[in-house]
Amino acid sequence: MSTKIRRSWLLVPISKADRLAQARQAHADVVVLDLVEFVTEEDKPAAREQVRTAINALQGCGAEVFAQVDPVLLYADLHACVWPGLTGAVISRLESSAQVVEADTLLSQLEDARGLLPGTLEMVAALETAQGNQVAYDISRASQRISGLTLGRADLIMDLRPEPSSEIHLMPYLMQRLITVAHATGVMPIGAWWRAPDRGLFATPEHTYQAARRGRAIGFQGSLCILDNQVESLNRGFTPDAEELQEAQHILAAYQAGTLQGAAAVKQDDRIIDRGTATQAQRLMALAEACARREQEKTEALSHPPLAIP
Amino acid sequence: MATRQVRRSGLTMPVVTKRFVDNAWRRGCDYINLDLEDSVPPHLKAYARSLIKDAIPNVSKGGAAVYTRINHDYVLADLEAIVWPGLSRVNYPKAEYDSEIHRLDEIITRLERERGIRPGTVEIGANIETALGVANGDEIASASPRVKDFGGASGYDMSRDLGVEMFVGFDQFVYGKGELELIARTLGIEVRGAPFVANTTGSVSDGDHAFRQAEAARKCGFRLGGGLNPAVVEPQNRGFTPSEEDVRDAHWVLEQYRQLAGSGETWHEVNGRIIDRYEAARARDTLEWAELCAERNREKAEAVARVQAAMSQASV
Repeated sequence: MSTKIRRSWLLVPISKADRLAQARQAHADVVVLDLVEFVTEEDKPAAREQVRTAINALQGCGAEVFAQVDPVLLYADLHACVWPGLTGAVISRLESSAQVVEADTLLSQLEDARGLLPGTLEMVAALETAQGNQVAYDISRASQRISGLTLGRADLIMDLRPEPSSEIHLMPYLMQRLITVAHATGVMPIGAWWRAPDRGLFATPEHTYQAARRGRAIGFQGSLCILDNQVESLNRGFTPDAEELQEAQHILAAYQAGTLQGAAAVKQDDRIIDRGTATQAQRLMALAEACARREQEKTEALSHPPLAIP
Repeated sequence: MATRQVRRSGLTMPVVTKRFVDNAWRRGCDYINLDLEDSVPPHLKAYARSLIKDAIPNVSKGGAAVYTRINHDYVLADLEAIVWPGLSRVNYPKAEYDSEIHRLDEIITRLERERGIRPGTVEIGANIETALGVANGDEIASASPRVKDFGGASGYDMSRDLGVEMFVGFDQFVYGKGELELIARTLGIEVRGAPFVANTTGSVSDGDHAFRQAEAARKCGFRLGGGLNPAVVEPQNRGFTPSEEDVRDAHWVLEQYRQLAGSGETWHEVNGRIIDRYEAARARDTLEWAELCAERNREKAEAVARVQAAMSQASV
């Protein structure tokens, strides 16, 4: 199980300098420098030239930095992106374990060439096509570097449209499938339970918060987003709230009191609290603490002046 | 992918009920599914088979494509009786193993050769109606290039197989339908499915419900309809065809998308809607589909006009 707190993954087009400056201040847990979705074909070569500067510009803001790359343009994209300061790559539209192995090999070569510690760069597999989702389990096991799975923009790429119920067609099935595979392979399931009219990671802050809450309820741990004003919603939505914490404290207190008297389970109100319930409560509190630490880390980082860009 | 077939509506009817068969051409269906299976009692199976060859030209004279649903347990006898020129598809119920589809393919291939039908003409509808079929879905759908669309895992037989009520107010088949849709999409074949629209009555002739279901299905990207009662044909044709408003909207989206060219942006927001290459692709899809539907409507209207002209000549 991943212990990293990565609730908000803010996608930022590398070609947009103003968006980069804003992203620094956005309080995202992760900034994803995008070379795939929001950069036009014509702008790609110039955008690749800017990645190194962009990574440097984001250092010290408290966010981890990933780059989103295209598996079809893998060589050019990774060559442009692997520099000190990069935590990993989100590989869009992944469709086979062979692609994962190819990316893994390339990352190893680039780690050597660019003076990064071997094996440290991570990969997040974006499964945005039917083929990719079909072989999700193989993909997730294809490299030690895989640290997360996401459906990315599957709703748009697979052309999944809203049903009368507002659920986006096929997504309830795809989400549960992805979350099951992610937990089975010990990687982070990244996503939120979006509903119409939300589309392709766009939504109002309120809808984003609801999507994050629903997403957390089915096992997601963080989500991609596109707008700066979605970041706070995701951070909050994927963090246990005060009510949940209070409940967890009650449970633990009751359980500890019970075990002191030699009981395996205790009754609190109309619920039975046993080791499983207590463990769950403990995890929730640990998650809340980790989230609080992460928030503090980012706040402190931002209070320092930005490092000079070499 | 080849041009999408237009199969918005279709009536499944027992081939032994002469009245249904004789009136089939007037119904305006995109296809007619002649049934040898559940709507034909066991003692009439042999008689039913003997009717198919003549029924094919009869039910298709209004422009409908002709399908036949065979019995899971009488594959050889049924296929011998039905694979004749004019047949587009064999619907095979309760498909559970790829070996079944291989066998169908072999027999159909032989019959096409013997009966002067262009090889590969007859499609196989591999209907998934049991849990076992869902579990073997990938092998079944990949078993023959004659399988052009795929789906199921819902409906009466699936309910029975799982031991659940058919008409409840929620979708009880999320997993099975999801599995089959993912398989179809992975193979690049048409998805046979529909979004969930609550139907707690089980009515087969409710035109309003049929329209809502068809419209919701189209808006989700689905294209295939079908039913049991003539009252749902027109609502399905209408529901699966983009409305004038949808067509206007698609043109508007494409116009807005063109504004992006050369701006360096991949999306913009117009009237509260995000316009990007995905919206543009959907709009193009809508326009293409509207075109195909219009063509299909013309085809059927011409066929019906020919029949009527011949009839009035005969009666003079």
